[in-house]
Amino acid sequence: MSEWKAASPSKALRRAAAVVGVGHSDWVGDWKRVRGGEKPTDSYGYGAIAFRQALDDAGIGKDEIDGLIVGPTTAYERMSEVLGIDPRWGDQADAVLSVAQAVTAVQAGLAETIALVYGNDQRSARIQYGGPQAMGGDAFLSYVYHSPWGLTSQGALYALTFRAFCEARGFDPLDLGHVAVAQRAWSSMNPNAVMRKRITLDEYRASQYICEPLRLYDYCMINDGGVALIVTTAERAARFRKPVYIEAIGRRDLNRGATSLEPRLTDFYLSAQQDCARQAYDMAGFGPEDMDLFQVYDSFSVHVPLALEGYGYCAVGEAGRFLREEGIGPGGKLPTNTGGGHLSETYMQGWAHQIECVRQVRGECGERQVDDCRHAHYTSDVAGKAVSIIYSR
Amino acid sequence: MTDTPTEVPLTPQPVMSMYDAPMWLSIRNNALELQHCTSCDTTLYPPAPVCPHCLSSGLEWRAVSGRGTVLSWVVYHKTYLDAYPAPYNVIAVRLDEGAVLVSNLEAPLPEGNWIGRKVRMIYKTMPDGLVLPRFVLCESGADS
Repeated sequence: MSEWKAASPSKALRRAAAVVGVGHSDWVGDWKRVRGGEKPTDSYGYGAIAFRQALDDAGIGKDEIDGLIVGPTTAYERMSEVLGIDPRWGDQADAVLSVAQAVTAVQAGLAETIALVYGNDQRSARIQYGGPQAMGGDAFLSYVYHSPWGLTSQGALYALTFRAFCEARGFDPLDLGHVAVAQRAWSSMNPNAVMRKRITLDEYRASQYICEPLRLYDYCMINDGGVALIVTTAERAARFRKPVYIEAIGRRDLNRGATSLEPRLTDFYLSAQQDCARQAYDMAGFGPEDMDLFQVYDSFSVHVPLALEGYGYCAVGEAGRFLREEGIGPGGKLPTNTGGGHLSETYMQGWAHQIECVRQVRGECGERQVDDCRHAHYTSDVAGKAVSIIYSR
Repeated sequence: MTDTPTEVPLTPQPVMSMYDAPMWLSIRNNALELQHCTSCDTTLYPPAPVCPHCLSSGLEWRAVSGRGTVLSWVVYHKTYLDAYPAPYNVIAVRLDEGAVLVSNLEAPLPEGNWIGRKVRMIYKTMPDGLVLPRFVLCESGADS
């Protein structure tokens, strides 16, 4: 994709905004209740619980909220109504784009203090992420187009990607197990994580295939819950107890050939990740060697080796060696998905990763706290969008 | 319509935009046609209103060669669909015309790595009557 201009977003966005409050619902308790046949609440209810906690964490009342961004699973108008707020600006977006939108909105003066609210009752509502009517199929044709041939699941799309990636980059499929093992080691130290029992590489390798070459432990869980963040201007954030600044953002989309899966199968999103990384590192003024924490959207473990190469944490073709020898778990070179991620903590579609970044930079993570965590890099490469957020003190 | 027993599993139905319909008709006739851009020679998949390369509306339906190369493959070990009891495979194939299709590889299946294997298209009628383009390995030597 050499025709892309090496353009970057305005540096006026650098440290223009900060997260001043975070909250989440009781993922562990609700997991047990839903498994026991209860329905604790709906998507709006989970969002409202998280919002209440985020306000408490920030130490403000809801009258100070003048912007609202809701996740893709709830309607903007109804969430405003449920929360009893009348924002002067609002939007609906996924986790990473919510943060990016909030930064641009406060920088532009469209709102001063924005609540980002996500709630999802996907487990108790039995949402289908595979099958001919898969959720998201209206927006992403690739999720449903190949169903006559039995390709119906997100897992299968990533299994196809991973097989081609292994061939192109010389990645040993057995090394993928280091991702699930490391993230479970992190989640074993996280009281908010749904799955906390450590696993070994041998257990990973003995686990069943779901869609070969991917195994059970390569898949995320599906659970109910909510997450909220409060974002405000850097100027206003200075008056809060524990602001974490959004140092930089970057984004590059890759939509050509999306339904035919070509970018997933031949490029592995590398070109988009590299351009996204360049933008984010340009804005921050520092790069991967300065990051204390890496967070990757991990609906499947496969995202992690792709991101390690795409965002420059190792050379292209080196992800297997990096996972094996440098390490991403406790004590490893690059602490990654320290809450346990979607595989082991909670599947909040990227939202929980944001609050893990914030809490690590604040130094609130107890047993799993990364020493002197100054810079945290979150990235996702889902459905053709490579997006990065860098959080800093 | 022929009578089919009620136990016949339904194949997941194709997405059927106005541009998909002619393609599925050609599949039913066992001769897959895709849109070909007469301005820039791009072969489109999935079918679309304009050429994504040059935005021309000058698109012509042409039969494909049916020859291609495997880009990737997976094997389902879990059954999600009545029409597809596990284990079954799904492959991605780059046709010689350039388009990438998702399909299945019919037996005999190759040992070892499938990536890079040359394949050719065949047509399979599912129990419920839907016709699908699928692939078989090219005979070694003859098709290399």
